[in-house]
Amino acid sequence: MKKVMIGNHAVSWGVLRSRVEVISAYPITPQTQIVEALSDMVADGSLPAQYIKVESEHSAMAACIGGSIAGTRTFTATSAQGLALMHEMLHWAAGGRLPVVMANVNRAMAPGWTIWTDQNDSLSQRDTGWIQLYCETNQEVFDTTVQAFKLAETVDLPVMLVLDAFFLSHTSEPVDVTEQEDVDRFLPQRDATFKMDTSDPHAFGALVRPDAYTEMRWQQQEAMHEARDVFRQVEDVWEAITGRRYGAVEAYRTEDADLLLVTSGTITSTARTVVDERRAGGEKVGLLKVKMFRPFPTEELRGHLGGVDRVAVLDRNISPGHGGIFAEEIRSALYDVPPEDRPNLFGYVLGLGGRDVTPTVISDIIDNCRSTARPEREDLWVGVEL
Amino acid sequence: MSERDVTKPHDTGRKIPPIAISETSTLVNPTGSWKYIMPRYEDRVAPCNAGCPVGIDIEGYMYLIGQGRLQEAADLLVRENPMPAVTGRVCHHPCEDSCNRASLDEAVAIHSVERRLGDMILAAPPPPAPERTREETVAVIGSGPAGLSCACFLARLGYGVTVFEAAAEAGGMLRLGIPEYRLPRAILDRQIERIQAAGIDLRTSTRVGTDVPWAEVDAFDAVFVAPGAHVGKDSRIDGAESVSAIRPGLEFLKEVNAGGRPDLGERVIVVGGGNTAMDCARSALRLGADVTVLYRRTPREMPAIPQEVREAKQEGVEFEFLAAPIGVAKEGGVFTGITCQRMELGEPDESGRRRPVPIEGDTFTTKADTVLTAIGEDCDLSFLPGDIGTTWGLVEVDELGESTSATVFAGGDVVDMPRSVADALGAGKRAAIGIDHFLREKAGEDVGEVPLDDLRFGGGNVSALRYSKDADPIPREAPVNQTVTWDQMNPHHFQTAPRHEDHFHDAIDLRSAFGETNFGLSQKEAIEEAERCLNCGVCNRCELCLIFCPDMAISRREDGGFEIDMRYCKGCGLCAAECPRGAVTMTREGI
Amino acid sequence: MSQTIIKQHIPRDDLLASGHLACPGCAAPIAMNLVLKALGPETMVVLPACCWSIIAGPWPQSSLRVPLFHTAFETGAAVASGIKAGLVARGDTETTVISWAGDGGTFDIGLQALSGAAERNEDFIYICYDNEAYMNTGVQRSSATPWGAWTTTTPTNDPEHQPKKDIMAIMAAHRIPYAATASVAYPVDLVEKVKKARTIRGTRFLHILAPCPPGWKTQNDETIDLARMAVERRVFPLMEVENGGTWRFTVDHPGGSIEEYIRRQARFKHLTDRQVEIIQDEVDARWGILSNRVEHGT
Repeated sequence: MKKVMIGNHAVSWGVLRSRVEVISAYPITPQTQIVEALSDMVADGSLPAQYIKVESEHSAMAACIGGSIAGTRTFTATSAQGLALMHEMLHWAAGGRLPVVMANVNRAMAPGWTIWTDQNDSLSQRDTGWIQLYCETNQEVFDTTVQAFKLAETVDLPVMLVLDAFFLSHTSEPVDVTEQEDVDRFLPQRDATFKMDTSDPHAFGALVRPDAYTEMRWQQQEAMHEARDVFRQVEDVWEAITGRRYGAVEAYRTEDADLLLVTSGTITSTARTVVDERRAGGEKVGLLKVKMFRPFPTEELRGHLGGVDRVAVLDRNISPGHGGIFAEEIRSALYDVPPEDRPNLFGYVLGLGGRDVTPTVISDIIDNCRSTARPEREDLWVGVEL
Repeated sequence: MSERDVTKPHDTGRKIPPIAISETSTLVNPTGSWKYIMPRYEDRVAPCNAGCPVGIDIEGYMYLIGQGRLQEAADLLVRENPMPAVTGRVCHHPCEDSCNRASLDEAVAIHSVERRLGDMILAAPPPPAPERTREETVAVIGSGPAGLSCACFLARLGYGVTVFEAAAEAGGMLRLGIPEYRLPRAILDRQIERIQAAGIDLRTSTRVGTDVPWAEVDAFDAVFVAPGAHVGKDSRIDGAESVSAIRPGLEFLKEVNAGGRPDLGERVIVVGGGNTAMDCARSALRLGADVTVLYRRTPREMPAIPQEVREAKQEGVEFEFLAAPIGVAKEGGVFTGITCQRMELGEPDESGRRRPVPIEGDTFTTKADTVLTAIGEDCDLSFLPGDIGTTWGLVEVDELGESTSATVFAGGDVVDMPRSVADALGAGKRAAIGIDHFLREKAGEDVGEVPLDDLRFGGGNVSALRYSKDADPIPREAPVNQTVTWDQMNPHHFQTAPRHEDHFHDAIDLRSAFGETNFGLSQKEAIEEAERCLNCGVCNRCELCLIFCPDMAISRREDGGFEIDMRYCKGCGLCAAECPRGAVTMTREGI
Repeated sequence: MSQTIIKQHIPRDDLLASGHLACPGCAAPIAMNLVLKALGPETMVVLPACCWSIIAGPWPQSSLRVPLFHTAFETGAAVASGIKAGLVARGDTETTVISWAGDGGTFDIGLQALSGAAERNEDFIYICYDNEAYMNTGVQRSSATPWGAWTTTTPTNDPEHQPKKDIMAIMAAHRIPYAATASVAYPVDLVEKVKKARTIRGTRFLHILAPCPPGWKTQNDETIDLARMAVERRVFPLMEVENGGTWRFTVDHPGGSIEEYIRRQARFKHLTDRQVEIIQDEVDARWGILSNRVEHGT
């Protein structure tokens, strides 16, 4: 069934098709339409879920944790300040190995007040133990939403799917909504690994002494590692049903490229057109889209980037005092590439607070990248006019 | 396609699970090792038991009544007190003075409950006589409460007992001295019959020293001497000996109690403040006289049972305090009354009561047709052989009533002890134990010392049940022979409830009647009154310890008691603090 | 009558195991045991950070014989909402979910989530065992700490300035179907309230005063006596509020001087007689307000 819908509603449809049992959410622009649509679905009975309209994002995540430890499939959505408020409970869900799925609509952090996109909100939650999947199109948003539950419930880790504010959340695109029976085959009712059960009572989350905490964290990390392979399997199954797959990393026209752009989110789509233009001009430019940020697709990135001359990472985010976060992570991943194959990495910081990243901006970046032997600094800010 | 196509990677068989999920309970923690003090269930002795001169497990029978086990309650009562129908009526009930419940609201009306149980016992046929298991025989001189008590306990211990009674009927002072309106003769008769039914040979109208020689009683293996005190003390009224209107009160009581109805005239003065004085006053009232009691001290010092004083006042007896008779008043040689000396209270004497001191020159005269003196009685010990030691006219005895002669024991009013029915009953019980012990030792049994301290209820009188090592019908947890005090108990778990007071005959009718004035309590009231008992010191399985234990360290045993699991008891002491009756003790012993 | 025997009113099975890690004489396990006795095994417990996080035992232990979820300090009501929603989603409408929180997790950091849940009338029982300070972290003041009390953050030369927050009024203002206070010294009253709460649907709130020997600086064996005295002297009246409007006292409160109650707790030992009178005045004033609520329902 094809429908034209905004990105936010693609999330809602994914949640509907996934037969989520407990939803708990708090409104925040620009995600609000996700939970508004879910309210309608619950109200009209098409989604027979328990919907807890909590008084804060912190409680939203806490309630999802409650629903999850009760054995059910749970979902919430948020953005920016809301995600930051959830921070404590993101650790709780991950450390408790609860497969909560959350949509985060990327919005820049205040102050000053902003509602437009950048990735600092989700990337600030990098170390909470959540799987993070960044989307480029509304179709991908729908697909990733459904996949997220499959992935989360297989590895017992929470998953955050991420979409750009407005560029996706409020932009209409045609979306092929997978039929319910197909999704049901892909995603049966959750059978929880750990849950509260009065016939088999256990305590969850008690004080853990130093003699066991490390082992629990090690297993969490192992699950993260396993998630890479599990995600591949999830995509295999999904592709078999729908014919669609995205990959943790997508290589676009990277063959024989001497310069690769690295992007995530909607900048990717813009970058594709620039790459097409440059390729048409005979330039060996390619594009690498990073969908999966956690677990970090280290090996795939090394495989694609090793031996390339120049790499331009486009970061719609900044780790103040360091650099663009994707750039830093990729730089770190490339350390183990043999020096002769190690590319020259340029880290561009751009598009913060929703500033438009146009084809011209990306084209200029390609030129800039080619024009100097080495980057002047680890963070190359684009378009700063003081 | 199905979920099977995606492989779930978890290995759940690891020693440490992926999350902090519990696998065991906290029972693995020996948190009891934290304690430095620990609780112990230790039943204690209720103060009523310790305060009873007879040595009755009052708390025990109250508990049984509370359980609805009336017959067992009666059995336990009569096990320690052979005449509860009597003591329920005439005892001065010091048990009630020691009752802890008085600190909560009012003491339990123990005497009323005892009386009801006593009457219940009398209503049933006497039990079969105890088996005669001992060859020895014992002579008992006197069939008052001391003599009958001793005889009864000796019979239960298997001895042949012969009681010698100088009067025509048994009962001693119960019959001779106590008026019928306090102790109906039918009750006394049936009580004595029951004691006799224990196989006692009762020889009335047989005065030792007159009707039978001392040698005849001395031929028994042991003798218990309890003839009572029947000789009125000198009135110390100048010229009294020549006035027939001045007579010993006890003599008057004996006459009335035997059915005599002497003419006392219109106005009677009774001298004294004890129970004999009250009995004289109230008997004289019933013969139609106006009666005034003359007492040389104040109401506070009166030795009479307060209830008796109260009743006397209600019946119309007048009291003149701080006055002592000193002489006879005559008009024209005819006795008209007595002269009295006004007194005031001085320093306390050896009894702790303030001594009355004459106020120089302050005298008065009061009219009287008859003066009854009730200032105490002496004993006639002339029948005793000279080798039996006496002091101040009383037989010297040890705690078990043994005199200076090995085979002779004594008790009741002839020894130095409070003169009360209860004390006499208690002395008889002690002497029976003393005699049993003496005879067994003489028979070559290895009996050791009598463990007197263990036999006593707290510091009170001895228990026959404990002496015989009979089964205690009350389940007791590690009993400690200490009396529990109010401050060792937790009053918060008790509700106040008014005491049931005895029902009395309307005072207006009394002046011509010798019928019983106190009707006691109904069965229902008596049971309710027994339920007021706090069971001081004795666990009643209320389970507050269990409910308040923060550590779930207390569990129920199959026998109804409790067990403390010291592996988990942290020694907080809440069980002891919250035990309503002081049956849990905190101790450092054993840690 | 001498003693009202209460054992027949207290269910016999313990759902709390020995060996838990409460301090000697702690009221919190007594309260938990009574509550679980009243609720029975079809109960799930949410436990935000509080003394009970320790009492429940470290991994791999649990002192409870019912499922227990340890959660973050401020999330008791929210997690309980989620668990209940999860149960209902799977068709289980019978299992009782309780959130068991201390005063910090209720009066302070958890109040927002509690208010949210109460306003939504979530179907669970929220129970606050109140030891009147942050005891687990070593006795710091909370908004449940009474006026004049010493804590490590309200030293004796600058003791607690504020009277205890009126949490019952706050909860009543949410018009939840049932709110009640209870005391470990009144086990039957407590058990009956929990049983009553269990039969009601929607948010139910129970506030249990839980004396703390180390935090109140009292003897271990005084816990019940102090809890009882708090009720008798009207410091902590036992009451219930239905639908936020009907206030009712559930036991007698004879009243009388609070001096002994205060003086037996060394956390108040720095107070002058005049300051004790101030507390007395506050207790009397609050009693007046409460009596008015009982009488007029406001």
